[in-house]
Amino acid sequence: MAERSVSYADAVAAVARAEGNLDAVSDELFRVARALEGSDELRMTLSDRQVPAARRQQIVEDLLGGQALETTTAVVSMIVAAGRSSDLIGIAREAVEINARDRGRSVAEVRTAVALTGDQAERLSAALSAATGHQVDIKVVVDPSIMGGVVATIGDEVIDGSVRHRLSQLRDTF
Amino acid sequence: MSRRLWAAAAVIVAVVVLSASAASAKTVGSCILDEIAAAEFEGIEGEGFTAAKNLKTLAAAGDEHAEELKVALGDDLEGCFDAPNPIIPEVKEIVWGGLAFVVLLALMYWKLFPVVKNLMDQRTQRIQDAIDDADRQRAEAAEVKANYEAELADAKAEAARIVDEAREQAGAVRADLQARAEADIADMRERAAADVEASKRQAIADLQSEVSDIALGAAEAVLGRSLEDPEMQRQLVDDYIASVGAGQD
Repeated sequence: MAERSVSYADAVAAVARAEGNLDAVSDELFRVARALEGSDELRMTLSDRQVPAARRQQIVEDLLGGQALETTTAVVSMIVAAGRSSDLIGIAREAVEINARDRGRSVAEVRTAVALTGDQAERLSAALSAATGHQVDIKVVVDPSIMGGVVATIGDEVIDGSVRHRLSQLRDTF
Repeated sequence: MSRRLWAAAAVIVAVVVLSASAASAKTVGSCILDEIAAAEFEGIEGEGFTAAKNLKTLAAAGDEHAEELKVALGDDLEGCFDAPNPIIPEVKEIVWGGLAFVVLLALMYWKLFPVVKNLMDQRTQRIQDAIDDADRQRAEAAEVKANYEAELADAKAEAARIVDEAREQAGAVRADLQARAEADIADMRERAAADVEASKRQAIADLQSEVSDIALGAAEAVLGRSLEDPEMQRQLVDDYIASVGAGQD
């Protein structure tokens, strides 16, 4: 991960800790980053330096105002105004890691074709915790391209149980 | 050699004798002059030629005595016209000729014969040298011929050896070319077989790939329809959770 993203994430975590809501801010920041990842138009608009920073900040506030914590809106607005929209995903991921470390836990990015139920999320978290030997928080990303199943990424380790992966293995077998 | 010398000496002696005899004989003129000088003309003035001249004048004048003396002188002069013996010279001529011969022979024996003998010896030596030189040249020619024949024999042997070597080399080259050709043919056959095998494997792989694409396409189509079922999705997630919980991925 880029050192600059880590520094931004540290700054965001410091602000959130000061506000006493690091857990919520990191979660919301992760969601905003995924939303940005899923919308090319939004990502390009917020990354366009031809658009005035005030205008980009206004877009962020319009999108998040009333739906996220003020702290989350402020840090996202600050990142966008600094012209680091393209680093927002990395910053959010690192912020989540920082939050998990503060709580003595790890974070697993879990991709599924459909949204998990609460029961499935709890069981998956428990299974990943048992598999890695320490407590794991999961951050779920709905990604229909995996067709089905689950892809869990914990640090550098990837546990791929997706239908797309199975088909790829089958194709390689042939 | 000595016979020739003696023959030459005899010829020289004969010439000397003849010339001596010829030189010793009186001529007609001298005989007449001697007779006139020795004649005595009784009753005629003068002596010798003067008397003869006066006698001629008196006889022409019709003096009978003078005419008789003139006739007598004519008879005496007739003897001058008689030739000497052509074969047998006079004794004194023989003596003088013999002395001249002896002197000449001594001179020849003393001076000429050694020179002639020396010349003959030199000529004999030259001839002998020529003969020896001819023999030597003949021997040298024979030696050259022998050397030439030996060199010719060597050349023939060398030529035969070269031909043999060339034949052996040609055979080796032919064998090498044949071996190479056979190796090339074997290599080409092997490559052709490998190409055929590779093409075969590629065709089979392409066929398998195509078949697998078709099969996988069909499977994905069927699977896609199945994955539209929420229960199927739930089951896949549950299976994943179960496998992770069991320590499998």
